[in-house]
Amino acid sequence: MRTFRGGLIIGLAVAVLVAAAAVTYERYDTKTLKRTQRRGEVLCGVNKGLPGFSIPDDKGKWTGFDVDFCRAVAAAIFDDPSKAKFVPLDAGERFKELQNRTVDILSRNTTWSMSRETDYDFYFPAVAYYDGQGFMIPRSRNIDSALDLNDSKVCVQGNTTTQLNLADYFRANNMKYTEMKFDKLDDVVKAYNSGQCDTLTSDASQLYALRLNLSKPNDHMILADIISKEPLAPVVRQRDDDWMMIVKWTLYAMINAEELGVTSKNIDEALKSKKPEVMRLVGTEGAYGENLGLTKDWAARIIRHVGNYGEIYDRNVGADSKLKIPRGMNQLWNAGGVQYAPPIR
Amino acid sequence: MTRLRHLVWMLIAAGVLVLSTSQGFAQGRPDADEPGLVADDTYELDPEWQKQVVYYRTNEAPGTIIVATAERHLYLVQGNGRALRYGIGVGREGFQWQGLVTITRKAEWPDWVPPPEMIQRQPYLPRFMAGGPGNPLGARAMYLGTTVYRIHGTNRPDTIGTAVSSGCFRLVNNDVADLYNRVPVGTKVIIRQKPEL
Repeated sequence: MRTFRGGLIIGLAVAVLVAAAAVTYERYDTKTLKRTQRRGEVLCGVNKGLPGFSIPDDKGKWTGFDVDFCRAVAAAIFDDPSKAKFVPLDAGERFKELQNRTVDILSRNTTWSMSRETDYDFYFPAVAYYDGQGFMIPRSRNIDSALDLNDSKVCVQGNTTTQLNLADYFRANNMKYTEMKFDKLDDVVKAYNSGQCDTLTSDASQLYALRLNLSKPNDHMILADIISKEPLAPVVRQRDDDWMMIVKWTLYAMINAEELGVTSKNIDEALKSKKPEVMRLVGTEGAYGENLGLTKDWAARIIRHVGNYGEIYDRNVGADSKLKIPRGMNQLWNAGGVQYAPPIR
Repeated sequence: MTRLRHLVWMLIAAGVLVLSTSQGFAQGRPDADEPGLVADDTYELDPEWQKQVVYYRTNEAPGTIIVATAERHLYLVQGNGRALRYGIGVGREGFQWQGLVTITRKAEWPDWVPPPEMIQRQPYLPRFMAGGPGNPLGARAMYLGTTVYRIHGTNRPDTIGTAVSSGCFRLVNNDVADLYNRVPVGTKVIIRQKPEL
């Protein structure tokens, strides 16, 4: 009788422990790097089709800024950027699929906000692209500031934060406007294209993409003013610090590489450099890669296979792309922008 | 057999000819300077090189010129986080420099007197050329400190965005005239180079 009760208590205790462990495992995933290595590929949640950021061609080959960032993570781990596998996710399902571990990382034009970190137990390691709301105008208007938009008819998509930001901006600057609201983005563009409004407002990266679809793209320009903060960042699950650090330092390695002048074209030369900052970056000095759980040459791999920050910017959304978005805030901190990476040391 | 030998010799001769002319071209025209060529003012620059207002964060005072040679951009700081950005052509390899200077002189349709160093390198250049549409200095020049370098116009708008000059910074004529009207003598000019490995 006594032993039976004892056994029952022990059994119960074990059951509770197992359940607790299971819950902990479910909530606190700390093995993303190991699973990625075992699987032999990084699973990246990406946008289903956003020109410049992530879009597949008719052969299923992905290109874009977000896509290249994920390839950089794969290059750091596997020395092979093709070890990134892309899982297209729409805005509604992206967070659930990250929580469910369908993907290792979201690299999908997601705005970093406080509630998204606290509500979903996510972490946004670093800002990959500073986006924000801007205005497109016909060049013929001949103005260069959003403060000259008083008494404008503004085309905007309804029921969005864009619409609210627009109201806030005009109110704060004592300007009047007539709102031309449409439910669908296509209709917003159509209205602007047919001259129903003086300006169209949306996130700047989107304005450059929308401009390509106008009947005369070159007759329109995007003002330099940015009226909202849309910091786009990769997303990972909380409480897997090792993985979060890899994602964070992949981005910082690319930014530091640009600042130090290391590119995919001169990486071999950089490996022979005697400049201490360059040596720490490319791994000829120190054990920074090993301390991340990777190899000494982790950053050199990223730069060789994918390039530095400026290279992936120019190729996908900047001067060498169709979008031709000026670097703006995404320029390095010492060249007029706010992209700033902590040093590798 | 003889026919084949003929063919081989002809091929070799053709090869030598191509090599010598292309090298002659590379050595003879390293500068993409073409004295006498009248600028095509209808030439349309790539969007990247067109004058535009951009976001630009800096501690430098409005009115300062910042030349970002690696980017091939010249910024005129406007304050309030913006700058006017122009596309430029910059110094080729070996003709890159950086530092802080001021504009010491301004001239419209400047005469061109290539400095002795330049004549030595490119003996075919004229010793003097009067200002005008065929002048490689273009519509305006702003002289930088006591250096031999200038911010100037060009008769070769197609060289904007490239590194071909002897260290000067060239803008298309419309842009250089626009910049000229915005900056006085005494303007601070900061020249930045890409970092060295």
